[in-house]
Amino acid sequence: MELNEIRGKLLTLLTNVAPDIEPQAVEPDRDFRDQFDFDSMDALHFAAAVSEAFGIEIAETDYPKLSSLRGAGEFVRSRLPQKP
Amino acid sequence: MKIEFRLPSLGADMESATLTEWLKKPGERVRHGEALVTVETTKGLIDVESNDDGEVAELLVQPGTRVRVGAVLARLEVEGGAPLASATPSPPPGPPPPPPPLSMHPPAPPSPAEGKPPGGMSGRARVSPAARRRAHELGVSPEALEQSAAGGIVHIEDVERLAAQRMAGAGDARAAMRTAIGAAMARAKREIPHYYLGHEVNFGPARAWLARYNLKVPVKNRLIETVLITKAVALAAARIEGFNGYFRDGRFERAPSVHAGAAIAVRGGGLVAPALLDADRKGLPTLMEDFSALVTRVRAGHLRSGEFSAATITVTSLGADGVDVLYPIINPPQVAIVGAGAIREQPWVMDGRLVIQPILTLALAGDHRVTDGRAGARFLRTIADLLVHPEAL
Repeated sequence: MELNEIRGKLLTLLTNVAPDIEPQAVEPDRDFRDQFDFDSMDALHFAAAVSEAFGIEIAETDYPKLSSLRGAGEFVRSRLPQKP
Repeated sequence: MKIEFRLPSLGADMESATLTEWLKKPGERVRHGEALVTVETTKGLIDVESNDDGEVAELLVQPGTRVRVGAVLARLEVEGGAPLASATPSPPPGPPPPPPPLSMHPPAPPSPAEGKPPGGMSGRARVSPAARRRAHELGVSPEALEQSAAGGIVHIEDVERLAAQRMAGAGDARAAMRTAIGAAMARAKREIPHYYLGHEVNFGPARAWLARYNLKVPVKNRLIETVLITKAVALAAARIEGFNGYFRDGRFERAPSVHAGAAIAVRGGGLVAPALLDADRKGLPTLMEDFSALVTRVRAGHLRSGEFSAATITVTSLGADGVDVLYPIINPPQVAIVGAGAIREQPWVMDGRLVIQPILTLALAGDHRVTDGRAGARFLRTIADLLVHPEAL
């Protein structure tokens, strides 16, 4: 899966978790906590959504990697099976 | 017999709401706890639940209408159940219903004269000078103030409430919420003699237990630290007298169950504190589910009335980005609130050795009309002891 495709999917998951976020306003490098006042419950909801949508295991210690759109995109790509 | 369905007070800062949508039609059945109508308040959309089982007899208010707290919105036809204080000599058949939990009776709206000094002034002088100044700043008309003065003196927070309603009506929800919070907190600071206590807790055992627990379950079933803290506060509130309930009509009413209000930040500013019902009696997984659903509803801007009126004590936390200590303000008519600071690694003395541990600082605001620092200290220590043995939560 291409990084752009992953990001698009992540944006949808993000706005599902927090319907008050405007998808076009998301700054890819900025931490969600700083950008949207994400709290621990939002972070957990996002991690659960990502884990389910992409079928990947996410340990609690991986949460910091999911804290921005770019970080989350790279994390998901690194966990998805590589193309042959 | 027919009973009236009224708009409940959904917090000390609420005076009125706009009816948005009826969720039931005349002739339809409604069960106790089922949502009957959606109203818009300064806290967003709220589904108001019925306190009774019955059938909708008639709807009295059209969507789009602004109604005051206590206004009759509909009439319900309910089976049997004589009206309260009935003069009928024989009791109704069957076992008497258990007394309704406190949560089902939202706090009564403050009467206009509540907590205000007896009015020695007459005529137009029923608006305090400070309130008049604030009214001028906020553009609230003298006529609106005079109306609000009926039976009492208008204080600055009454003016702010009026302004909040007007802003909500004009679609400026954010400003309305800010003003409503200001009005509720001004009332708290004016009426409640707060005392404050702080206590540091070693959160190491709780964090280690949580990490082990979360390793074993799928992401969506994981617990967060706030849930552990909330459960510990709820258990302590059930055990130590004087922190769980309401101060109304000059006395403390102990609540039979602990409905823990969870302060949740609204993005873009503002705060709501809906309740986690029966928090002391629920297991951590259930409490986590409830909390998770509550945050989802806050984010979507759609809460339920039971959650708003029910809280008997509140827990507030600034989360990982917060600071060490949070000195909270009691949400009236409650009598206590616990603030949790950010958990930070700090030096800690354990068995005579200096170690680094994650430390949580808890701060209690208690109501001196109900308890003293001594009881407050017992309450905080009980919370701390519970958190050191998380497996028992």
